Amino acid sequence: MSWRNRVLALSVIVLLLFSLSTPVLAQEGDQQQNSEPLTIFTQYPAQEAAVGESVTFNLTLRGGASPQVVRLDLQNLPEGWTATFRGGGKVVRAAYVNPESTTSVDLRIELPKDVKADTYRFTVIAKGERERAEIPIELIVKEKLPPSLEFEIELPTLRGTTDTTFRYSATLRNRGDEDLSVNLLAEAPPDFQVLFKLTGQEVTSIPVPANGSKRLDIEAKAFVPVPVGTYPIKVTAQGGEAQAELALIAEVVGKSELSLTTPDGRLSGEAYAGEETSLKLVLRNNGTAPARNVELSASQPAGWSVEFDPKEVAEVPAGQQVEVTAKLRPSEKAIAGDYMVTLRARPEGGASQSAEFRITVRTSTLWGIVGVGLIAVAVLVVGLAVMRFGRR
Amino acid sequence: MARSKVREGSPWTGLWAVVFKEMADHLTSARMLILQALTLITAVGTVYAAASNLRDTVAQDRFLLLRLFTTAQQPLPAFVGFLAFLVPLIAIALAFDAVNGEFNQHTMARLLAQPIYRDALLFGKFLAGLFTLALVLTTIWLLIVGMGLVGLGVPPGGEEVARSLWFLVLTVFYGGVWLALALVFSITFRQPATAALASIAVWLFFTVFWGIIVDLLAQFLRPVRIGLPSEYLAQGQLALMLSRLSPNTLYSEAILAMLNPAVRSLGFVLPIQLDGAILGAPLPLDQSLALIWPHFTGLVAVTILLFALGYTLFQRQEIRA
Repeated sequence: MSWRNRVLALSVIVLLLFSLSTPVLAQEGDQQQNSEPLTIFTQYPAQEAAVGESVTFNLTLRGGASPQVVRLDLQNLPEGWTATFRGGGKVVRAAYVNPESTTSVDLRIELPKDVKADTYRFTVIAKGERERAEIPIELIVKEKLPPSLEFEIELPTLRGTTDTTFRYSATLRNRGDEDLSVNLLAEAPPDFQVLFKLTGQEVTSIPVPANGSKRLDIEAKAFVPVPVGTYPIKVTAQGGEAQAELALIAEVVGKSELSLTTPDGRLSGEAYAGEETSLKLVLRNNGTAPARNVELSASQPAGWSVEFDPKEVAEVPAGQQVEVTAKLRPSEKAIAGDYMVTLRARPEGGASQSAEFRITVRTSTLWGIVGVGLIAVAVLVVGLAVMRFGRR
Repeated sequence: MARSKVREGSPWTGLWAVVFKEMADHLTSARMLILQALTLITAVGTVYAAASNLRDTVAQDRFLLLRLFTTAQQPLPAFVGFLAFLVPLIAIALAFDAVNGEFNQHTMARLLAQPIYRDALLFGKFLAGLFTLALVLTTIWLLIVGMGLVGLGVPPGGEEVARSLWFLVLTVFYGGVWLALALVFSITFRQPATAALASIAVWLFFTVFWGIIVDLLAQFLRPVRIGLPSEYLAQGQLALMLSRLSPNTLYSEAILAMLNPAVRSLGFVLPIQLDGAILGAPLPLDQSLALIWPHFTGLVAVTILLFALGYTLFQRQEIRA
């Protein structure tokens, strides 16, 4: 009996144990499921941002003892900052959190313009019915680079004559973090025209990307002859609040401008074959600088000779004229008619100026007299015949 | 003996009477009418053709009037081409029986019985021929200018008119040469037919044969042995000089220079002489005139000398027979 009883007692205990253990186990599993606390987290809790920007944190809510409404709040938010929670495209204040799933809420923080660069910390608090969760967020605000423009130029001073087109090659650099549309302005002396060219196209406004640069050609040209002098040209580039200035200098030097003509402007003349004819020429300097050592030369038909008196003019002052005589001798055998003679004047270090003269060659009338003599002889013969045989 | 005789009075007495009488004869003669009609038809035909050609082809020309004389349209040659052989024919027709005709009609003695010297008779006959020729040519010239005005509608410029007048004078003296020649033959030969044939023979000789003879002579006198350019030049120059002995050459060269102002030289021109020359530029009138002056004086002098020859022959002739 005692063995039987013992076995029975043991089996009862085992049974009891079993029967006891089942509810314990069941209670433990229940407690595990309900015990996950309400949590709030974000994947990137520390972010950097620039002044004036807005930052968005993606928050995720999970857990909780039971499905509940969780209110969202912020703690230690710096003054002047605006923060909004957004969910489903709307501004929200609370979210319904089902323990079995996750809920996403966006936190959008707009930084005021006058915020200082620093590291700011604040906390997002999610407050459920009985539970509470927190997440510290760190926002590092960095000073943003102000927009700034800069000109770079290698040759700001150019030299040329009044006809020259002064071509400056400049680089416009945007040192800011923003793309800029830059307006170009030029302040030039009157009589000067300034053009901006970008890859050959004339422009007045150009886009310059952030931290980028554009190569700009600035062309200045006087549209009327201007006196000798130094002409400053101020170029301003304006984009948003940024501005850059560039001082250019166009140095206009004098230039002689010769013209070869006759006192009455007529470029034709007459000459007898084999005889010297002098042709009065006028060397006029219409330029702004004196022409020095003007050499005179001619290209004439074969057999002709052209001599100048003087052969070289030492100086033709600006705006004045000098008379020169050309002695022209057509060839002995030149036939009558028009010929082209080119006369040239070349100043030292300048281009030669030429004038084409149309010379009408006349032949001597000596033979005409001989012809008349021939007729006279014939008449004389008739006269003699009349004298000898007349009046019969 | 004859020399000792002092001649009295002017040899020109009665000159104008002879001139007017002769001109009246000429202008009413059938011979002249035929030749004049021929010339007129030629002038109208060639100038009409030239005018229509000019209207179609030439847009701008400073010398349109002159073009009327020189423009040829197939199959018609230019007017000046016709004139070169019509004028000698008219001149010969005017004078080939001037003197021998009087003998044949036995009017010479009767004529000289009047108070007219032989001088005046011959002068009168020659001048009447020349005046008739000038009259005919002037009429034709006026006709052409008038047709040009109507046909082209452009008034001629002063230089054009001057040039065409010089052309007229040249043509008259070209005719004068043949007139004087025919006069000489009419004095020499008693038969008018012989005189006419002799004149025509000379004309044919210069028109047809002289060119051939000149070529042969030039090749004989200046042969090209090696083929140097200078040899060719010498031969060409000799040929040119010889051909200028013909009044036909003188006349055609002279009117070429007169009617085409762009002609600068009538002889040989070396390329070196044309260096720098503006080709096609018209010469001024006086320079064109200087160019043809030898030709013109040559024609005038030949006319006068031939007349002097005829005069001498006539004066020495026995006329009472």
